[in-house]
Amino acid sequence: MKKRFKVLSVLISLTILFAGGLFAQKKLTGLDIMKKVYNRKSPKDMEATLTMTLINSNGSKRVRTIKQFIKDFGKVEKKIMFFIAPADVRNTSFMNWSYDDPKKDDDQWIYLPALKKVKRISSDSKGDYFMGSDFTYDDLGDRNPEEDNHKIIKTEKIDGLNCYVVESTPKDEDYMYSKTITWVVKDRWYGLKKKFYDEDGEYLKTLTLKKADNIKGYWIIVKVEMKNKQKNHSTIMHLTNIKIDTGIPARKFTERMMKRGL
Amino acid sequence: MENFVKKSLRFSLLIILIIIIITVIFTKIAKDNSKLETNLDKYMPQDHPAFKYSNMAEEWFNIKDAVMIAIYNENGIFNYTTLKKIKSITKELGKMKEIRKEDVTSLYTADNIVGTEDGLDVKSFYKRVPKSKEKLDNLKRLVRTNDMVYGKIVSKNMKVAIIVARIDKDVFSQDFYKRILKLGKKYEGPEKIFVAGRPIVEGTLAYLMPKDMKKMVPIVILFIIGVLWFLLKSFKNTITTLIVVLMSTVWTFGLMAAFHIPIYAVSTMIPVMLIAIGVAYGVHLYSHLELHLKDKPNISKTDAIANMMKEMWKPVMMAAVTTMVGFISLLTSAVYPVKYFGLFSAFGVFSAFILSMFFIPAVLYVFNLPKYKQNKDKKEHTKIYFSITEKIIKYKKLVIIITLIVLFISIYGITKVWISSSFLSKFEKNSDIVKTDRFVNENFGGTTTLNVILEGKEKDTFKTPAVLSAMLKLQSKVTNSLPMVGDSFSIADFIKRMNKVMHADKEEFNNIPNNKDLIAQYLLLYEMSGDPANLWRVVDDKYQKANLTFQLKSDDSVQLKKAIKVIESFRDDFSKLGIKINYAGSGYKALVFTDLLLKGQISSLIVSLIIVLILLTIMFKNFYIGLIGSVPIILTAVINFGVMGLTNIPLSSTTALISSIAIGIGIDYAIHFIDRYRIYANQFSDKDTASKWTMYHSGRAILFNAMVVIAGFMVLVFSVFPPNRNLGELVSLNMFTSFLGTLTIMFIILYIKNIYFEKEVK
Repeated sequence: MKKRFKVLSVLISLTILFAGGLFAQKKLTGLDIMKKVYNRKSPKDMEATLTMTLINSNGSKRVRTIKQFIKDFGKVEKKIMFFIAPADVRNTSFMNWSYDDPKKDDDQWIYLPALKKVKRISSDSKGDYFMGSDFTYDDLGDRNPEEDNHKIIKTEKIDGLNCYVVESTPKDEDYMYSKTITWVVKDRWYGLKKKFYDEDGEYLKTLTLKKADNIKGYWIIVKVEMKNKQKNHSTIMHLTNIKIDTGIPARKFTERMMKRGL
Repeated sequence: MENFVKKSLRFSLLIILIIIIITVIFTKIAKDNSKLETNLDKYMPQDHPAFKYSNMAEEWFNIKDAVMIAIYNENGIFNYTTLKKIKSITKELGKMKEIRKEDVTSLYTADNIVGTEDGLDVKSFYKRVPKSKEKLDNLKRLVRTNDMVYGKIVSKNMKVAIIVARIDKDVFSQDFYKRILKLGKKYEGPEKIFVAGRPIVEGTLAYLMPKDMKKMVPIVILFIIGVLWFLLKSFKNTITTLIVVLMSTVWTFGLMAAFHIPIYAVSTMIPVMLIAIGVAYGVHLYSHLELHLKDKPNISKTDAIANMMKEMWKPVMMAAVTTMVGFISLLTSAVYPVKYFGLFSAFGVFSAFILSMFFIPAVLYVFNLPKYKQNKDKKEHTKIYFSITEKIIKYKKLVIIITLIVLFISIYGITKVWISSSFLSKFEKNSDIVKTDRFVNENFGGTTTLNVILEGKEKDTFKTPAVLSAMLKLQSKVTNSLPMVGDSFSIADFIKRMNKVMHADKEEFNNIPNNKDLIAQYLLLYEMSGDPANLWRVVDDKYQKANLTFQLKSDDSVQLKKAIKVIESFRDDFSKLGIKINYAGSGYKALVFTDLLLKGQISSLIVSLIIVLILLTIMFKNFYIGLIGSVPIILTAVINFGVMGLTNIPLSSTTALISSIAIGIGIDYAIHFIDRYRIYANQFSDKDTASKWTMYHSGRAILFNAMVVIAGFMVLVFSVFPPNRNLGELVSLNMFTSFLGTLTIMFIILYIKNIYFEKEVK
């Protein structure tokens, strides 16, 4: 699957990564837990404002504000996002159609208002970082649990929540991480924390949940932080004005809307 | 004095024992604590503004030196095996512990952003190595049309590709170099593999110079032993002289280790200085002893030694003190390794002096005097020195004229002296390292980089069309006007490329768009689609600072200076845009460092000259004598630099220090000669006789000393390592000039000016 321009995946991914259904409990394996996280019930559509704060090694901050819409059409999931700030990129928009069929590549478009042209983008997956942040597309939830081997290494209580601590190692040796360790909240099926180790087995970065809200019965992750230890760089993603299942019309996800802007 | 020496001689064994114990202790300390410093950054004064700034900029833009592996296939690189090798080398480099994966760049890792009529393609050039002719041809086409790789990581003739691995400052080691070479070897045939880059050059230099020295020094010592033995006519004395030099070296390095001061490349010059200077003390003492024994063959051992000490302690001490002061003046240098060099060379001279004063008489006492063959005819022995003296006096005008001519030629030579911060120039022209560098430079932009750091007043400066256009103008001016500048790279190139790509790759859009918002949107797009790490190497994330990189085909400071000169002509243009220009990177730092080193060297030479003049004036209680005593030093220094200019030996960190020898040796000779002249002036009250005997006594010792050291250092002329060859040549030259200058022109001035004979003339 190609992921480079799957910009809109942010929101849905966050929910996928950290959310899970309220299943009946039995003796769970590591894979079961990660599947619960991956397959949890998600909203039909969602609209929100994403504030992304990039903090570099000398502490300088850059803030981007993005308005985003996501809708699940069954076989295809469509996402569109518009930059609000900084001012010089206002109304720059991205659209992504992602298909259930794993053989079918995503369709992606970008629109640069200063150029007044919509361009289709094709790209190959490289586990790249999302919009210059510390998140890769995989980190944002696109990774199928079947691609890794999982094992529960312990259970732990964090902030009063019972967590499974699951260690995941990729089946593909060439994968960008040699290992991840996830703290999954029991019964809520979202992660509180995730540690990433690079391909040489060295500690790379940590994802920390800052805030999760239960909206209309869905666990929605509202604020997360990724701290890259090796690059001494971090990213905070914060969702506000979250609206769920409002019935976003299908015509929202078209080139015409990309050009129209907000 | 004589009585004191006679009494002390009874403790000779004890003195020898103490000296041996001290030497053993220093050996132990040196063995346990000595540390070789090969990281060139450690040489530079880190608090100097240029270095401070450069270090900061290196941090901002992650500027690092790169190791380059070039893979050459005469049938072109676009075939399955060569492409596969590029991929494998890229991966293997990324796995080495010294290299971060993201710091390796090659055709395999590069992004290919291509524009089409309705879209944008962001892809790798290849992941799986292409096999079919069709796919290979397509790849070739993609490379040719992408300015970001064509001519940058794939040569324009498509026969060479480079894999660039940027490495941190302190990770280079000989072992790492060996592993890289081994890695390259593994992929040879039919392709050829070349390994180049500044870290390789620096690392090899830091390794080769001491290695070559290790090989050459025993031969040097062997030659010195041979010549000393021949001249001193005593094996015992030869060995003692040499032991004094070696022990003083051990003491010096022991003390350095005790203070936890690492051994720098310039520290290897310390033994060189100590050999040249230390041998002199022994030679003068033994020479006197020999002459005295010839005069009075039947005196006792104790009397002979006491006489030697009585007659010689003063000039030897004066020589030692002035030499030490000369070295201590190097403390004025801004460069720490040079300060240490001066300080510890001074200590070494002090050690050599102390050892000569105690160890030599003690050994003579314990192991008995050497037996000299007695010349039946004393005249026979003095004849040659006397006739030389007569000739010098006879041809004094000619000597003066020749000296003046040599001086003028040398002064002209000095104007030709050039400074080199080049590391590559220190290698043999046909050495692998030079050939590889030349090969890479022929095919790509250049192995040396100069980073120009631009700083705007406010953020988003580098999204402004006017600023980006000014950068492109600067880039093309520098690359077009200087053939040695092969390429340049900046944020402006990114924007140009994005603009072209977003306009369906049409060449007419290969420029900076006149719309700040569009530039901002391109950059956003690049941040999201390409590897943003590439962007942060040319601009900071506030778009307020930019790093413009020039690639040069030579690491020669002359070329760097030329480029800087052209860049400086743009300073006003950028200033109007509110942008400051600064420089960074290892090439620039080396340039600043060399300048700093030389300025320090020249100023300390002048300072030490003045101090020596004062000391001589005090010692001989006469300003004129002080002035005359400085003649050999000045002559040696001037001729040293003059010859460097005329024979095209550049001034560098090591060659600059050799001029210190001029002070050390020149002053010794002058003092010995003048002191003896003073003694004989009192004794004979006839100018010519005094001159002849001085020549016989001091002139002979000076000649011996010069012969010994020259013979030793001429060995270095056969070194495989050019800087060591230069060292051998220049040290020998300096010894020769000091010797000749003292015995001819300085003597003639003493003679003409009637020094010590004023009363008589009146």
